[in-house]
Amino acid sequence: MMDFVFALAIGILFGIGVFQLMRRDLIKVAIGFAILFAAVNLFFIAAGAFEGEFAPYADNVAAGLTTSDPLIQALILTAIVVSFGSFSLVLGFIYIISRRYETVDSEDKHVTALKN
Amino acid sequence: MELAILTAAPFLLALFLALPIARNNFTQSAQTWLSSLLMAGLFLWLLSAFPRLQAAGPILQALDWLPALGISLSFYLDGLSLLFALIITGVGALIFFYCGFYFEKAHEHNRFVIWLLAFSGAMLAVVLAGNLLLMFVAWELTSITSFVLIGFKGKKDKEAREGAFKALFVTSAGALALIIGIVMLSAAAGSLLYPDTGLRLVADFAELLEVTALHQHEWFVLFALLILLGGFTKSAQFPFHFWLPGAMAAPTPASAYLHSATMVKAGLYLFARLSPVMHQNGLWTSMLLTVGLITMLIGAYFAVKQRDLKGMLAYSTISKLGAIVAMIGLPGQNGLKAAFVGIIAHALYKSALFLVAGTVDHATGTRLFSKLGGLSKQLPALFVVTVISALSMAGLPFLMGFVAKETLLEAMWKYSGERAGLVMLVVTASSAFTAMAAYMLIYDVFLGKAKRENHIHQMPRLILLSPLLLALASLCLGFLLEPLVIPLLQLAVPKTFKLQLFPGFNEVFILSLVILLLGLLLFLLRRWLIAQIAFPLSGDGVYHEFRLAIDWVGDQVLRVQSGRIRWYLAILFGAVAILLIASGALFDVSAGHQLFPSNFSLSPADVAKVFMLALSIVAGLFTVWVRVHIQAAIAFGVIGYAIGVIMLIEHAPDVALVQMLVETMVTVLIILMLGHIPRSVRDKMSVRLGGGGRQDKFKLSIDLALSAAIGISVFLFSLIALQNRPERASIASWHLNNAQQVNANDVVGAIVADFRGTDTLMEIAVFTAAALGLLSLLGKQRYIDSPFLPAALTAATADTGGKWERDAEPLSTPFTRSAAYIVLAFASLISIAQILYGGNGPGDGFAAGVTLGLAVTLLIVVFGYNQVRERHKWFRPEEIVRLGLGIGIVNALMPVMMGRGFMGYVQYDKALGIYDLVGSFGLHFNSSLVFEIAIALTVMGGLWMIIEAIAYDPAAIENGDSPAKEESALL
Repeated sequence: MMDFVFALAIGILFGIGVFQLMRRDLIKVAIGFAILFAAVNLFFIAAGAFEGEFAPYADNVAAGLTTSDPLIQALILTAIVVSFGSFSLVLGFIYIISRRYETVDSEDKHVTALKN
Repeated sequence: MELAILTAAPFLLALFLALPIARNNFTQSAQTWLSSLLMAGLFLWLLSAFPRLQAAGPILQALDWLPALGISLSFYLDGLSLLFALIITGVGALIFFYCGFYFEKAHEHNRFVIWLLAFSGAMLAVVLAGNLLLMFVAWELTSITSFVLIGFKGKKDKEAREGAFKALFVTSAGALALIIGIVMLSAAAGSLLYPDTGLRLVADFAELLEVTALHQHEWFVLFALLILLGGFTKSAQFPFHFWLPGAMAAPTPASAYLHSATMVKAGLYLFARLSPVMHQNGLWTSMLLTVGLITMLIGAYFAVKQRDLKGMLAYSTISKLGAIVAMIGLPGQNGLKAAFVGIIAHALYKSALFLVAGTVDHATGTRLFSKLGGLSKQLPALFVVTVISALSMAGLPFLMGFVAKETLLEAMWKYSGERAGLVMLVVTASSAFTAMAAYMLIYDVFLGKAKRENHIHQMPRLILLSPLLLALASLCLGFLLEPLVIPLLQLAVPKTFKLQLFPGFNEVFILSLVILLLGLLLFLLRRWLIAQIAFPLSGDGVYHEFRLAIDWVGDQVLRVQSGRIRWYLAILFGAVAILLIASGALFDVSAGHQLFPSNFSLSPADVAKVFMLALSIVAGLFTVWVRVHIQAAIAFGVIGYAIGVIMLIEHAPDVALVQMLVETMVTVLIILMLGHIPRSVRDKMSVRLGGGGRQDKFKLSIDLALSAAIGISVFLFSLIALQNRPERASIASWHLNNAQQVNANDVVGAIVADFRGTDTLMEIAVFTAAALGLLSLLGKQRYIDSPFLPAALTAATADTGGKWERDAEPLSTPFTRSAAYIVLAFASLISIAQILYGGNGPGDGFAAGVTLGLAVTLLIVVFGYNQVRERHKWFRPEEIVRLGLGIGIVNALMPVMMGRGFMGYVQYDKALGIYDLVGSFGLHFNSSLVFEIAIALTVMGGLWMIIEAIAYDPAAIENGDSPAKEESALL
């Protein structure tokens, strides 16, 4: 049951993220990026969630308790920090575009001219 | 081990000379002596290995590389590799010496020597590699270093850039064929040697050369052709020869060394190396013979037409390479002796001639035949060198070149295969043209009438030493066959042979004299002859067309790059959807599973999760709907916190902590950035969804459909993935059970800082790279002068630069100021605690770094960036990141020195004898702790950089209204 709920939430969040990516407003685009990251991290969390009833500590293991999966958690930890780094780059790009062209519109003629 | 050190030595010296210490403190002559003495030392070492080879056979030394695949880092020294290695180091020593006087600018000399050293290391690796795959890696390295050396004058010289690109393009295209050929050959050898095991590569020469049945393998035609292609492109064989004349744009020492004596012989080495297992097949030998002879003729024929000294030398090199390829291709390995003698002779006379060309260029400022003449009086020493070397090239008795020519003619004379007459004719004709070129070099440059008042540029005398020594070798080696050359060849040539300086008046000797005279005749007719030379098909033209075609394809591909995000998304996700559906993967894994739930019972924890998920979805929809950006940013923060809570419920306290901290940071960053974008700019964009005309509504519905489709596919994908995941990876249990071994209670922390520490090290490096990128993009407005930006961009920046206005006021009140410092103090305490006790409970280096990052952000918000930077000496993000990464790397390397492998676990407290002392505070001083500190420092510094980039307002500095000044004015 929870798999289904998680999948549904991931799908909806991902859809929202994609929708935001397609806005003309670059600030919304940035937020869309961040939502996509969040959706992906959520997927990993959901994948790691398995009948664990305790945090993955060695003393919990020694006490014979069922703990959650530590490996996935370590990977998400890494993913969070890296996605934060790339997100800050996205913010930087938007900031510099706004400074140079006084716009945050992705279809502004200055911005679209960049690709040539 | 010695062979590995031998190969590594030039690389190490190159690295050393690249260090600022060496660059600034070592004079040009010191660098010259260092590099040429190194080469000379390697030469002597190789000579000293000679008796060992004679006594005990090939030397094989191996280090483990990829033991699982049966691939080792092996080095192999036999007669063949010794021959090439002696040329590389011997000629190398002279070339490096010559370089010291060729370059006038110290920094150019330094740069050149570094690259040339790197090249000689790579070239030594090619011939000393004991394994085809290792040889291939070195082979590619020589292509890359050659690219750099040809394009050495690239900034100023378009020709050099073109030439470098052409050489790289041709040789690396060939290398692509070569690697496929090598892998196929190794697999074929593996299947022959170990028929019962699965795929197994046999690439070590020691093993490979024993596989005598290789030429009967069913893949033979394929891999033989691929390997031939690789060798032909590298050794400038027809029709790929055209890159070599283009490579003459390199500084002359590089041409002499790479494009005459060593690198272009890599193909020959490969052919000779594989000859024992390949030569029984007629395809191999006839390809070598045919292509070699064509190249020999064409090279010699074009050489005489060249108007540039180096151009002539390049084409005559091509011709000689062709001759040697043909020798290697003679059936029954009958030509190997001639090939090796030819390689030695050619290396001596051709590098001498190249150095002459370079010196003439240096002295007169030109290399064109039309502008040179009568230099013998002004440059007598060069004249002597040229006479000896050019006559050796022509094959005059009793120079070394004569021995080469004699053995070549002798081998060809004995050839009795198909079209023996035609072969003989080709050899005679091209030798005559070569003789003609040699006469032209002597007469047209040094004799004849002086073309103008040649202004001779003064040169250091020592520049002549290397060419003179090379000429001396050409002169004497013929008389030293018995003690030097023959023993060397006996190791390299598989059959018994005779080699004499003067074999007597036989047919071959007469033919050789005829060739010399024929060359003289051609030389006398040269004006008429050169006018006749034309050849309709040029490889260069084909290459040019090919490049145009690639450009055209590139243009077509670029058309797909419309710059519209909708289009990209549609392609990206469309492709994924098609792959998932078409491959049937989606249906395969979902078979037998009940995708949709049948019971809807939820535990209390599940209810909380569902609530949090619902909250995040509502917040997500809110970010779409809301018009005010700050509200959207805060709504996004809600998503992050909701996910953080879910992590907590899922028993992932470490992750939840970092997630919440990072989420706060993200929200703060967005808001900080919004503060720097003027309201007027932002307001233009806050429009209602679906407002505007019909076109906008249409676009909106497309967007909705697209994102709905993507959302649904992601939903299905995650559903199937979640329902099919394994119960728990076995590695997870291993981690759980072994965390105690690294004195950690928190298993997640142990994985991050220890078990998968290399991942983490890479990850903090990536994070730093992102922060650095941001800083260089935004920081200090360095970008305005950046040469990398198109002119339109800089112009646009200059337009808006002046009239920038600030909306954000610093929130500086007495209360906020003291609050900021109190928060900083607490944050520091928390961070230290997290680092020290992270092994026992939640919290680790990441969390510590982000906590301090947040506290400093508050400080900046309150005081303004400038004041924080001025007041606090510790606010130096670059230094902190450097320190953090440095500690991380040292910590990773320390265990290596203690024999525990990269990132191994070390208990420093035990090593220092303070285990109990530290332990009484509940601490463990081990490599994990050091690494946590490194992580914390790096993440903190990186965060500061990011904040610096976003919070730093260059306009404020320029206008002099920095918050610091306001503050001091108030006081």
